[in-house]
Amino acid sequence: MARQQPIELFMPPNMLKAKVGGGLGGIDMGALKRAESALENLSGEFAAWLDQDVGRLVEARKQFSKKPGAESRAALLRAAHDIKGQAATFNSPLVARIAASLSRLLGEIPPGGDLPAGLVDAHVQAVQVIHRQNITDVKNPMAQTLCAELDAKVSEMLAKA
Amino acid sequence: MSGYRFDRLKVLVVDDNVHMRKLVSTILQAFGVQQVFEAESAERAWPLLRENNPDVVILDWMMEGMSGIELTRMIRTDAQAPNPFVPVIMLTGYTSVDHVRQARDAGANEFIAKPVAAKTLMSRLVSVIEHPRPFVRTKIYFGPCRRRRANDEYHGPERRADTAQQAAE
Repeated sequence: MARQQPIELFMPPNMLKAKVGGGLGGIDMGALKRAESALENLSGEFAAWLDQDVGRLVEARKQFSKKPGAESRAALLRAAHDIKGQAATFNSPLVARIAASLSRLLGEIPPGGDLPAGLVDAHVQAVQVIHRQNITDVKNPMAQTLCAELDAKVSEMLAKA
Repeated sequence: MSGYRFDRLKVLVVDDNVHMRKLVSTILQAFGVQQVFEAESAERAWPLLRENNPDVVILDWMMEGMSGIELTRMIRTDAQAPNPFVPVIMLTGYTSVDHVRQARDAGANEFIAKPVAAKTLMSRLVSVIEHPRPFVRTKIYFGPCRRRRANDEYHGPERRADTAQQAAE
Protein backbone atom coordinates (compact mmCIF):
# COMPACT_ATOMS: atom_id res chain seq x y z
CA MET A 1 0.00 0.00 0.00
CA ALA A 2 1.34 3.39 -0.93
CA ARG A 3 2.18 5.44 2.07
CA GLN A 4 0.48 8.81 2.42
CA GLN A 5 2.73 11.80 2.80
CA PRO A 6 2.61 12.33 6.57
CA ILE A 7 5.51 14.75 6.77
CA GLU A 8 5.95 18.12 5.22
CA LEU A 9 9.49 19.41 5.53
CA PHE A 10 10.27 22.86 4.27
CA MET A 11 12.64 25.75 4.80
CA PRO A 12 10.91 29.07 5.49
CA PRO A 13 12.68 32.12 4.05
CA ASN A 14 15.34 33.39 6.46
CA MET A 15 13.75 36.76 7.21
CA LEU A 16 15.93 37.24 10.25
CA LYS A 17 19.15 37.05 8.25
CA ALA A 18 17.67 39.36 5.63
CA LYS A 19 16.87 41.86 8.38
CA VAL A 20 20.11 41.86 10.40
CA GLY A 21 22.60 41.04 7.65
CA GLY A 22 26.10 40.18 8.80
CA GLY A 23 28.34 38.02 6.72
CA LEU A 24 30.85 36.41 8.99
CA GLY A 25 28.44 34.59 11.23
CA GLY A 26 30.47 34.83 14.40
CA ILE A 27 30.10 36.36 17.81
CA ASP A 28 30.07 40.14 17.67
CA MET A 29 32.86 40.82 20.16
CA GLY A 30 32.10 44.53 20.36
CA ALA A 31 28.47 43.87 21.27
CA LEU A 32 29.54 41.23 23.75
CA LYS A 33 31.90 43.62 25.51
CA ARG A 34 29.16 46.24 25.70
CA ALA A 35 26.82 43.67 27.25
CA GLU A 36 29.37 42.57 29.83
CA SER A 37 30.02 46.17 30.72
CA ALA A 38 26.27 46.85 31.03
CA LEU A 39 25.93 43.86 33.37
CA GLU A 40 28.84 45.17 35.42
CA ASN A 41 27.04 48.50 35.75
CA LEU A 42 23.90 46.68 36.82
CA SER A 43 25.71 44.57 39.41
CA GLY A 44 25.26 47.22 42.09
CA GLU A 45 21.61 46.22 42.18
CA PHE A 46 22.18 42.47 42.48
CA ALA A 47 22.27 42.36 46.30
CA ALA A 48 18.92 44.15 46.51
CA TRP A 49 17.45 41.88 43.85
CA LEU A 50 18.57 38.78 45.70
CA ASP A 51 17.09 40.25 48.89
CA GLN A 52 13.73 40.48 47.14
CA ASP A 53 14.00 36.96 45.70
CA VAL A 54 14.90 35.49 49.12
CA GLY A 55 12.04 37.46 50.68
CA ARG A 56 9.70 35.97 48.09
CA LEU A 57 10.92 32.47 48.95
CA VAL A 58 10.36 33.04 52.69
CA GLU A 59 6.88 34.40 52.01
CA ALA A 60 6.03 31.48 49.72
CA ARG A 61 7.15 29.09 52.46
CA LYS A 62 4.87 30.89 54.95
CA GLN A 63 1.92 30.69 52.60
CA PHE A 64 2.54 27.01 51.96
CA SER A 65 2.56 26.36 55.72
CA LYS A 66 -0.67 28.29 56.19
CA LYS A 67 -2.48 26.75 53.25
CA PRO A 68 -0.75 23.67 51.84
CA GLY A 69 -1.96 22.79 48.37
CA ALA A 70 -1.00 22.61 44.72
CA GLU A 71 -1.12 26.38 44.22
CA SER A 72 1.03 27.32 47.23
CA ARG A 73 3.45 24.49 46.46
CA ALA A 74 3.80 25.72 42.87
CA ALA A 75 4.49 29.26 44.13
CA LEU A 76 7.17 27.90 46.47
CA LEU A 77 8.73 25.93 43.62
CA ARG A 78 8.72 28.99 41.34
CA ALA A 79 10.43 31.08 44.03
CA ALA A 80 13.12 28.41 44.58
CA HIS A 81 13.51 27.85 40.84
CA ASP A 82 14.02 31.58 40.20
CA ILE A 83 16.77 31.74 42.82
CA LYS A 84 18.37 28.61 41.40
CA GLY A 85 18.54 30.29 38.00
CA GLN A 86 19.61 33.76 39.09
CA ALA A 87 21.61 33.68 42.31
CA ALA A 88 24.85 32.70 40.56
CA THR A 89 24.48 35.78 38.33
CA PHE A 90 23.96 37.79 41.52
CA ASN A 91 27.32 36.47 42.82
CA SER A 92 25.73 33.99 45.25
CA PRO A 93 26.51 30.53 43.86
CA LEU A 94 25.91 28.83 47.21
CA VAL A 95 22.43 30.29 47.48
CA ALA A 96 21.85 29.03 43.92
CA ARG A 97 23.02 25.55 44.91
CA ILE A 98 20.71 25.33 47.93
CA ALA A 99 17.79 26.65 45.89
CA ALA A 100 18.57 23.99 43.27
CA SER A 101 18.38 21.32 45.96
CA LEU A 102 15.04 22.72 47.17
CA SER A 103 13.74 22.87 43.58
CA ARG A 104 14.71 19.23 43.14
CA LEU A 105 12.85 18.26 46.29
CA LEU A 106 9.72 20.23 45.37
CA GLY A 107 9.82 19.24 41.73
CA GLU A 108 10.43 15.52 42.12
CA ILE A 109 8.12 14.56 44.97
CA PRO A 110 4.93 13.81 43.06
CA PRO A 111 1.98 16.19 43.44
CA GLY A 112 -0.04 15.11 46.43
CA GLY A 113 2.99 13.40 47.96
CA ASP A 114 4.07 14.36 51.45
CA LEU A 115 6.66 17.11 51.47
CA PRO A 116 9.06 16.85 54.40
CA ALA A 117 8.36 20.20 56.08
CA GLY A 118 11.54 20.09 58.16
CA LEU A 119 13.71 19.61 55.10
CA VAL A 120 11.93 22.40 53.20
CA ASP A 121 12.49 24.71 56.19
CA ALA A 122 16.13 23.67 56.45
CA HIS A 123 16.65 24.77 52.84
CA VAL A 124 14.86 28.08 53.29
CA GLN A 125 16.81 28.84 56.47
CA ALA A 126 20.11 27.88 54.81
CA VAL A 127 19.35 30.26 51.93
CA GLN A 128 18.61 33.03 54.43
CA VAL A 129 21.76 32.43 56.49
CA ILE A 130 24.11 32.25 53.52
CA HIS A 131 22.53 35.32 51.95
CA ARG A 132 22.53 37.29 55.24
CA GLN A 133 26.17 36.44 55.93
CA ASN A 134 27.03 37.15 52.30
CA ILE A 135 28.98 33.91 51.90
CA THR A 136 29.97 33.84 48.26
CA ASP A 137 33.07 31.63 48.39
CA VAL A 138 32.05 28.17 47.17
CA LYS A 139 34.97 26.71 49.15
CA ASN A 140 33.64 27.97 52.48
CA PRO A 141 33.81 24.79 54.64
CA MET A 142 30.65 25.48 56.67
CA ALA A 143 28.63 26.19 53.55
CA GLN A 144 30.05 23.16 51.74
CA THR A 145 29.08 20.88 54.64
CA LEU A 146 25.61 22.40 54.77
CA CYS A 147 25.06 22.02 51.01
CA ALA A 148 26.33 18.44 51.00
CA GLU A 149 24.08 17.57 53.95
CA LEU A 150 21.01 19.07 52.28
CA ASP A 151 21.80 17.34 48.96
CA ALA A 152 22.15 14.01 50.76
CA LYS A 153 18.88 14.44 52.66
CA VAL A 154 17.04 15.28 49.45
CA SER A 155 18.47 12.24 47.67
CA GLU A 156 17.48 10.07 50.62
CA MET A 157 13.96 11.50 50.64
CA LEU A 158 13.52 11.10 46.89
CA ALA A 159 14.73 7.51 47.04
CA LYS A 160 11.89 6.79 49.50
CA ALA A 161 9.24 8.74 47.56
CA MET B 1 33.13 41.90 14.31
CA SER B 2 30.19 40.14 12.71
CA GLY B 3 28.38 43.22 11.43
CA TYR B 4 24.90 42.20 12.51
CA ARG B 5 22.33 45.01 12.56
CA PHE B 6 20.82 44.03 15.89
CA ASP B 7 19.27 47.49 16.00
CA ARG B 8 16.76 46.27 13.43
CA LEU B 9 15.51 43.45 15.65
CA LYS B 10 12.33 43.36 17.70
CA VAL B 11 12.62 40.96 20.62
CA LEU B 12 9.92 39.86 23.06
CA VAL B 13 11.17 38.78 26.50
CA VAL B 14 8.70 36.79 28.62
CA ASP B 15 9.61 36.02 32.23
CA ASP B 16 7.60 36.32 35.42
CA ASN B 17 10.69 37.41 37.34
CA VAL B 18 11.27 41.13 36.96
CA HIS B 19 15.01 40.80 37.62
CA MET B 20 15.51 38.23 34.90
CA ARG B 21 13.58 40.41 32.44
CA LYS B 22 15.79 43.36 33.36
CA LEU B 23 18.96 41.26 32.92
CA VAL B 24 17.97 39.91 29.53
CA SER B 25 16.72 43.27 28.29
CA THR B 26 19.96 44.95 29.42
CA ILE B 27 22.02 42.41 27.51
CA LEU B 28 19.87 42.76 24.39
CA GLN B 29 20.00 46.56 24.50
CA ALA B 30 23.78 46.42 24.87
CA PHE B 31 23.86 44.23 21.75
CA GLY B 32 22.09 47.10 20.03
CA VAL B 33 18.50 45.82 20.02
CA GLN B 34 16.32 48.92 20.23
CA GLN B 35 12.89 47.35 20.43
CA VAL B 36 12.66 45.03 23.43
CA PHE B 37 9.15 44.21 24.60
CA GLU B 38 8.69 42.68 28.03
CA ALA B 39 5.85 40.58 29.42
CA GLU B 40 5.55 39.16 32.93
CA SER B 41 3.36 36.25 31.87
CA ALA B 42 2.50 34.18 28.83
CA GLU B 43 -1.01 35.60 28.96
CA ARG B 44 0.35 39.17 28.75
CA ALA B 45 2.83 38.12 26.06
CA TRP B 46 0.17 36.93 23.62
CA PRO B 47 -1.34 40.35 22.80
CA LEU B 48 2.17 41.87 22.64
CA LEU B 49 3.16 39.16 20.23
CA ARG B 50 0.17 39.84 18.03
CA GLU B 51 0.59 43.62 18.10
CA ASN B 52 4.34 43.77 17.54
CA ASN B 53 5.19 40.61 15.61
CA PRO B 54 8.68 40.25 17.15
CA ASP B 55 11.60 38.75 15.24
CA VAL B 56 12.72 36.62 18.20
CA VAL B 57 10.94 35.45 21.37
CA ILE B 58 12.95 34.71 24.52
CA LEU B 59 10.86 33.07 27.19
CA ASP B 60 10.99 31.47 30.57
CA TRP B 61 9.60 27.99 31.04
CA MET B 62 8.17 28.08 34.55
CA MET B 63 5.66 30.87 35.03
CA GLU B 64 2.45 31.25 36.95
CA GLY B 65 -0.50 30.46 34.68
CA MET B 66 0.47 29.46 31.17
CA SER B 67 3.99 28.03 30.94
CA GLY B 68 6.62 28.87 28.36
CA ILE B 69 6.08 25.46 26.82
CA GLU B 70 2.37 26.13 26.33
CA LEU B 71 3.08 29.56 24.87
CA THR B 72 5.57 28.03 22.43
CA ARG B 73 2.93 25.56 21.25
CA MET B 74 0.46 28.44 20.80
CA ILE B 75 2.99 30.42 18.78
CA ARG B 76 3.52 27.45 16.49
CA THR B 77 -0.04 26.26 16.06
CA ASP B 78 -2.62 28.93 16.94
CA ALA B 79 -4.34 30.41 13.92
CA GLN B 80 -4.04 33.88 15.53
CA ALA B 81 -0.25 33.66 15.85
CA PRO B 82 1.31 36.38 13.71
CA ASN B 83 4.35 34.33 12.73
CA PRO B 84 4.47 30.61 13.49
CA PHE B 85 8.10 30.49 12.31
CA VAL B 86 9.40 33.05 14.79
CA PRO B 87 12.54 31.75 16.55
CA VAL B 88 11.81 30.84 20.16
CA ILE B 89 14.67 30.69 22.66
CA MET B 90 13.70 28.94 25.90
CA LEU B 91 15.49 30.39 28.91
CA THR B 92 15.12 28.25 32.00
CA GLY B 93 16.50 27.01 35.29
CA TYR B 94 15.83 23.46 34.10
CA THR B 95 18.97 21.73 32.97
CA SER B 96 18.20 18.06 32.31
CA VAL B 97 18.29 16.44 28.89
CA ASP B 98 14.65 15.50 29.37
CA HIS B 99 13.72 19.16 29.75
CA VAL B 100 15.70 20.10 26.64
CA ARG B 101 13.75 17.42 24.78
CA GLN B 102 10.41 18.74 26.07
CA ALA B 103 11.27 22.29 24.98
CA ARG B 104 12.31 21.01 21.56
CA ASP B 105 9.12 18.95 21.25
CA ALA B 106 7.04 22.05 21.98
CA GLY B 107 8.73 23.86 19.08
CA ALA B 108 11.54 25.84 20.73
CA ASN B 109 14.52 26.55 18.49
CA GLU B 110 17.14 26.99 21.19
CA PHE B 111 17.52 26.35 24.89
CA ILE B 112 19.52 28.38 27.43
CA ALA B 113 20.06 27.06 30.95
CA LYS B 114 20.17 29.79 33.58
CA PRO B 115 22.26 31.49 34.85
CA VAL B 116 22.20 33.55 31.71
CA ALA B 117 25.47 34.82 30.25
CA ALA B 118 25.81 37.46 27.54
CA LYS B 119 28.00 35.16 25.45
CA THR B 120 25.45 32.33 25.53
CA LEU B 121 22.62 34.66 24.57
CA MET B 122 24.69 36.04 21.70
CA SER B 123 25.57 32.56 20.47
CA ARG B 124 21.90 31.47 20.48
CA LEU B 125 20.93 34.63 18.58
CA VAL B 126 23.65 33.97 16.02
CA SER B 127 22.47 30.40 15.79
CA VAL B 128 18.87 31.35 14.92
CA ILE B 129 20.14 33.92 12.40
CA GLU B 130 22.75 31.76 10.71
CA HIS B 131 21.47 28.23 11.13
CA PRO B 132 17.69 28.26 10.92
CA ARG B 133 16.24 24.78 10.92
CA PRO B 134 13.77 23.51 8.37
CA PHE B 135 10.21 23.29 9.60
CA VAL B 136 8.31 20.07 9.94
CA ARG B 137 4.57 19.55 9.82
CA THR B 138 3.23 16.18 10.91
CA LYS B 139 -0.06 15.09 12.43
CA ILE B 140 1.28 15.68 15.90
CA TYR B 141 3.93 18.35 15.52
CA PHE B 142 4.57 21.65 13.85
CA GLY B 143 7.83 23.45 14.44
CA PRO B 144 11.55 23.47 13.75
CA CYS B 145 13.00 20.12 12.72
CA ARG B 146 14.08 18.43 15.93
CA ARG B 147 17.00 16.63 14.32
CA ARG B 148 19.93 18.91 14.84
CA ARG B 149 22.23 17.17 12.38
CA ALA B 150 21.40 15.66 9.04
CA ASN B 151 22.31 11.98 9.00
CA ASP B 152 22.26 10.64 5.46
CA GLU B 153 24.07 7.51 6.56
CA TYR B 154 21.13 6.26 8.62
CA HIS B 155 19.34 3.26 7.10
CA GLY B 156 17.41 1.94 10.09
CA PRO B 157 13.68 2.04 10.78
CA GLU B 158 11.78 5.34 10.57
CA ARG B 159 12.08 7.23 13.83
CA ARG B 160 9.46 9.96 13.42
CA ALA B 161 6.60 8.73 15.56
CA ASP B 162 3.73 9.23 13.14
CA THR B 163 5.64 7.95 10.09
CA ALA B 164 6.54 4.79 11.95
CA GLN B 165 2.94 4.42 13.03
CA GLN B 166 1.67 4.81 9.47
CA ALA B 167 4.21 2.33 8.11
CA ALA B 168 2.99 -0.20 10.67
CA GLU B 169 -0.60 0.32 9.53
